[in-house]
Amino acid sequence: MVRRIATLARLEVADRDLPVLTGQLARIVSYIDQIREIAAQELPGPHSPAATPVRQDAARPASGREALDANAARQLHGYGVVPRVVG
Amino acid sequence: MSSSVVGIAADVAARRRSGVEVTREALARVEAVDGRIGAFLEVSAERALEEARAADSRVAAGEDLPLAGVPLAIKDNMWVEGRQSTCGSRILEGFVSPGDCTAVARLRRAGAVFIGKTNLDEFAMGSSTENSAFQKTRNPWDTERIPGGSSGGSAAAVAARLVPAALGSDTGGSIRQPAACCGVVGFKPTYGRVSRYGLVAFGSSLDQIGPLTRSVADAARLYRVLAGADPLDSTSARLEVGDPEGALERGVRGKRVGFLAEAQAQELDPDVARDLAEARRAFSDAGAEVLDVSVPRAPAAIAIYYVIASAEASSNLARYDGVRYGPRASETDLLSLYRETRTAGFGPEVKRRILLGTFALAAGYYEAYYGSAMRARALLSEDFDRAFEQADVIVCPSIPAPAFRLGEKTEDPLTMYLSDIFTVPASLAGLPAISIPSGLSSGLPLGLQIMAPRFAEEPLFAAARALEREISFTDELPAAVR
Repeated sequence: MVRRIATLARLEVADRDLPVLTGQLARIVSYIDQIREIAAQELPGPHSPAATPVRQDAARPASGREALDANAARQLHGYGVVPRVVG
Repeated sequence: MSSSVVGIAADVAARRRSGVEVTREALARVEAVDGRIGAFLEVSAERALEEARAADSRVAAGEDLPLAGVPLAIKDNMWVEGRQSTCGSRILEGFVSPGDCTAVARLRRAGAVFIGKTNLDEFAMGSSTENSAFQKTRNPWDTERIPGGSSGGSAAAVAARLVPAALGSDTGGSIRQPAACCGVVGFKPTYGRVSRYGLVAFGSSLDQIGPLTRSVADAARLYRVLAGADPLDSTSARLEVGDPEGALERGVRGKRVGFLAEAQAQELDPDVARDLAEARRAFSDAGAEVLDVSVPRAPAAIAIYYVIASAEASSNLARYDGVRYGPRASETDLLSLYRETRTAGFGPEVKRRILLGTFALAAGYYEAYYGSAMRARALLSEDFDRAFEQADVIVCPSIPAPAFRLGEKTEDPLTMYLSDIFTVPASLAGLPAISIPSGLSSGLPLGLQIMAPRFAEEPLFAAARALEREISFTDELPAAVR
């Protein structure tokens, strides 16, 4: 189970770490299980989060490109470089 | 000479001292003391002095600056242009902030100076600052103990008087809990009051930026500068900020001060119970009506929080894949690049939370965990709505016991999570909440927390100032930094 979740999360779990990690997560999940009882209680009224205000859809100056270039591990001709993904 | 935010700003504005002098003093103290505390990850002396000179020039030009020449420390999960923002994580080692976060930009406009970036639990996940990939931070009151977390570097820097104030971020208590552990004031504004643009995201429905200071008045000054709508954060509230500083001396006469019944029902540390009883007397003496109020679902807050915050973290941290930032662990193929970079770059606590959040959001578990947590959160918020029909503010301890020893809880994540039992409820309900130092327990600080309804910062500051005045926490320097 922990390994399957780790695959989804793009993480590796070493064999030596698996027993401790599994125990810790099991204890946390068993503590968390109390919410299922609470969630079964009736909500007194409709509860929806406040609507998010929408900003004007307009271009504004930004330094996104330079920042990306500066912080990317590898870049070439102004593009980020990743390992080949197509044949 | 005053060492408070308000005092320094007044001195520099009146040109009794220069921002450069104040900044030199702060840098000298960091140099002399921080080796014992480890509050700072990066100190930028040259840039700070440049900023101080700029503030002095603006004062000379007649600008009215509410933070003229005030040296500040910034938690290392917020952008300060041109300086590193590592979030205490190997995966962001070397990341240079592409600009100022909105909070820092507002402080800069107000004349503040940025001394450096402070240590934190990796990606703000933790209650002890022990999860930083780079260093441990020690509590100035006892260097064998944790400073609290995740804003432990900011809290320790203020407690050690390295800076008069610092910024922290609070997702489940990360400003208030370390403030209490270090004997300083920590304030989390209402969710939506302060823009999070340029704050590295952890739990987006909870994250909020706020100040750590040595007084309630200093917290109100910083909050006044920080708060306000920002088009770059769509969750920032388009509401008037009001006059938090004007509210400070309003007092609590005739106000209803509720004490959280669920906190008192717990077996409290005797000194925590002592401080709570003292606060009841203090509010009563100040003319408030003191009563008990119930928030029945508050004891479940940690369980709700660890589903929601972890789910949001697993989603927010998906962007750290070795492509856009930080060191890259592998180049063999794209999947290995993601997996190996993340496995090498994240520490154990961050991985635990990503796994927990991925589990809570996974097909087959989503409704039972994330869906249930969202419903339980709504019920808890309803509990608070009802409690605030009876009371104007609600008081409870900030921490269940004084700061624990370094290493004491690192092997037991659930026990560590329970350190935040009193701070998490306000986070889930989006409430403003402040922790103020309440007393000492065997030489270690304790804190009391006051919560108010959403956007009711003014009555919160009035109550906090009233309590601060009655309690008068020690002005003594912590032992390790004398």
